Amino acid sequence: APSKDAVRQLCQECFCSPPAALGPLARRAGPGLAASAEEAEQLVSALHNLTRHVVYRGLTRAEDILCLFPENFHQNLKNLLTKIILENISVWRNEAQASQISLPRLVDMDWRVDIKTSSDSIVRMAVPTCLLQLKIQEDAALCGNNPVVSALTVELSKETLDTMLEGLGRIRDQLSAVANK
Amino acid sequence: AADKIRLIPQDFFAELCEQIIQHLNHKIPGVNTAELCQRIQTSGVEINIGDLAKIANILSFLFSTAARSNLSAEELVTTLGSAGSTLPKHAVQVIRHVWDEQGKALAAPEDARNTATVGQFVDMKWKLGVAMSSDTCRSLKYPYVTVTLTVADPSGQITDRSFEMTIPQFKNFFRQFKEMASVLETV
Repeated sequence: APSKDAVRQLCQECFCSPPAALGPLARRAGPGLAASAEEAEQLVSALHNLTRHVVYRGLTRAEDILCLFPENFHQNLKNLLTKIILENISVWRNEAQASQISLPRLVDMDWRVDIKTSSDSIVRMAVPTCLLQLKIQEDAALCGNNPVVSALTVELSKETLDTMLEGLGRIRDQLSAVANK
Repeated sequence: AADKIRLIPQDFFAELCEQIIQHLNHKIPGVNTAELCQRIQTSGVEINIGDLAKIANILSFLFSTAARSNLSAEELVTTLGSAGSTLPKHAVQVIRHVWDEQGKALAAPEDARNTATVGQFVDMKWKLGVAMSSDTCRSLKYPYVTVTLTVADPSGQITDRSFEMTIPQFKNFFRQFKEMASVLETV
């Protein structure tokens, strides 16, 4: 490889790429590494497996990673790769957490308090009401690169808002109870 | 729609009419079409939720128009008139019966609740979970909150939306709601 940064870049791309996209990645990376198509494919595949394995097992110490390499592996390269992996571990772990299968996720929340002053059936009133808009993103794994975000707009009265708060308070209590264990 | 109505067994049709009238009367937040459809399907009738929703909307419109014009049960059936002749007899019977019993209670809607243009919040169910492991990470220990909001859309149909939040998102969520509540207090 031409430089340390190129190695770093390659490691990141190999980790992030899903198995299906490794082929194209190898074809892109091959020329820069002065490697044949076959060698590029093997390299990319190996790096992908190595990085994914480290994240899966939750390895955090250099020794644990170093011993994954075969005996006669080039010493400096081994150290460089280990260093790069350690640098990226927590980011990669967060990505793994974020990309696990899940229900749709909340991505944004906006709200507004209005006062209803009049309608076709009531001429005068002063009813405060809450409008809440939640932006929900469908499971990223199912949508590939184009996640679908839908908006849910809901109106809450004072009573329903209190119901909501009560429920949320109980979640908070549960969280504290679990955190204190 | 008349031929779809034909498919619905009488007792389910009566239940649908009852729910619609109760919703119009603000006794219940909405019509649980999904749940009713499920039960009808379980009884062996092939009807999809879209058709049931359409029928519910038609009936809702019928009853609310009748309420505004102060129609008696007889007048209502007469209005159904030509449409009524394509409806199965049991359906007309149910409509007349439900209207007789509860139609008068549908007073003119002088209520702030009647100004719904967006979904109305009905209920919230929640779950606190910890993802222990996944195919990408053997030891995750990732806590999250799952929430299911039950919402009645403007036409009265009740639907559920579920989603997940991380713990920091949940804390922000809670904080926003407390702020909304305090604004509502002071306004």
